[in-house]
Amino acid sequence: MTNTVLTPVGTSSADPIVATPAQRRWQIGLIALGLLLLAIGGLVLLLDVDPQKYFGLVTWFAGALILHDGIIAMVVFGASVVMRKFGRRIHVPFAVIAILQGAIVVGAIIGGIVVPEILKKNIGTANPTLLPLAYGPHLVAFYVGLAVVTSLSIAVYYAVVARRRKA
Amino acid sequence: MNSMRRSLAAPSRTPRTAVVIGRLLAIAFLLCFGTGIYSHFIQDPLPWMHFPTRPIFLYQVTQGIHITAGILCFPLLFAKLYAVFPELFRTPAIRSFPHFLERASIALFVASSLVQITIGLLNTYQWYALFPFPFRQTHYALSYVIIGSLAIHIAVKLPVINRYWRKADAQKQVVVDAAELEATPPEHRATGVTGKIFAWIDDTPQPKVGNSRRAFFATVGVAAATLLVTTAGQSFKLFDVTNIFGPRKNGIGPGGLPVNRTAAAAKVLTSANDVDWRLEVKNGDVVKSFTRADLAAMTQYTVELPIACVEGWSQMATWRGPRLKDLADSVGAASGNSIRAQSLEQNSSYARMEMGPEFVRDDLTLVALELNGQPLDIDHGYPARMIAPARPGVLQTKWLSSLEVIA
Repeated sequence: MTNTVLTPVGTSSADPIVATPAQRRWQIGLIALGLLLLAIGGLVLLLDVDPQKYFGLVTWFAGALILHDGIIAMVVFGASVVMRKFGRRIHVPFAVIAILQGAIVVGAIIGGIVVPEILKKNIGTANPTLLPLAYGPHLVAFYVGLAVVTSLSIAVYYAVVARRRKA
Repeated sequence: MNSMRRSLAAPSRTPRTAVVIGRLLAIAFLLCFGTGIYSHFIQDPLPWMHFPTRPIFLYQVTQGIHITAGILCFPLLFAKLYAVFPELFRTPAIRSFPHFLERASIALFVASSLVQITIGLLNTYQWYALFPFPFRQTHYALSYVIIGSLAIHIAVKLPVINRYWRKADAQKQVVVDAAELEATPPEHRATGVTGKIFAWIDDTPQPKVGNSRRAFFATVGVAAATLLVTTAGQSFKLFDVTNIFGPRKNGIGPGGLPVNRTAAAAKVLTSANDVDWRLEVKNGDVVKSFTRADLAAMTQYTVELPIACVEGWSQMATWRGPRLKDLADSVGAASGNSIRAQSLEQNSSYARMEMGPEFVRDDLTLVALELNGQPLDIDHGYPARMIAPARPGVLQTKWLSSLEVIA
């Protein structure tokens, strides 16, 4: 039996991917360009940013990696495994799980953008034309709309499957 | 670690997915970089630089693209990181010195990208208290770091990118014989609680590859489209009606136009309302002084020009006042001269502004006295302000006090 599994990115050990000579030249050019741009970025940081601010910047870099790789990515992975597992146990089709997962991801990304906006508006802004909208109620309305669209999509999926079965 | 990495493999986490999302993300990054560099140099030009004055909405469109592409980077970057997440658990973690450099460059790339889009977003909310470093200089420096890291990342992954560039190539990926997994000696398999967890995860059936990938791209597409539709109205009128999350809204503000810096913040409430206010126009020893009535007595022109902020929002407006070139000519300026404008505002690096001859000589460049048919509101620069085509809002100097002709 030829069972196959998916390989994580760029790791097909059965068939290693090797650079051709032409690619090798491109690689050297791109790395040289990259190092030049990194040097310019470093120089701007040295010349334009007060060294006393470097610690704050490094903290943000470390924080970004820990927050993403250590927390968000782990939670997303855990949630997707649990949903897949749970979905099988109660016989929910993959499409329904996918629609639900998609809705959760869309909701989380919009929330990630809008919640800071709500917080900043509550703290106060420099003038009334900055953050002028009712972002909290808009977000609630958006989530209600998202829930409705998600439910409708699942209902349509079941209706299509039922019709196919009849046909 | 290998068990974990294998378990993380999902149908949507394939080289082809990484290449497709990576392409979109690279386009978004390059758009942000190009438009950002344009904005940087129009504010701080090198001596030899000249800028186009047409189309009049050039700056508006470039910065609308900058901010919209920047917001779209959130779903795209998360999707890209999701697609390559198993790479985190590569074993051995470091194989060689070049491999260490590769991983370090990726860590730098990921961290600087996350920081860059986050501070960019927070800048549009003007929430500077959250980050302990200056926004503009850091955002500018990181843009080079990111594009540099991107070039190195593309170089390292070039053979993989090349292989999975076309859709047909996606068929080639998948797949190692399961024999490889089964060949893992039992003693190397995790046992105990960890083993049970991995057995539980491995037991989970994989959905069909095509379905999973379609679901993944559909989710990213819906998230990106939602952000576009609900925020891009701050920069593009087309999306104004659906602008429910943009930090700015067209039509809101004095004279129906948003404001960035108010008269109170600029500490000009007294000086701008002073009845003795004069606009001084100088060219060497030649000095002329204009009251607001003098300016209104000159030939008046009406122009439609957008006010386009460096923060990405913009709105079209109708301005009326004398042409800048008529004022410059009144003190004998030559056609190749620039001008230096001084504002009444306090504590601002933008209180003094220089404008090249391409803008000074433009028929659409006015010293505006009216906005949308009304005298300028004090928050929009009363008694007189600059308005020129294809210029950033911070250079449309408000509360003018003097204009000096320079070489």
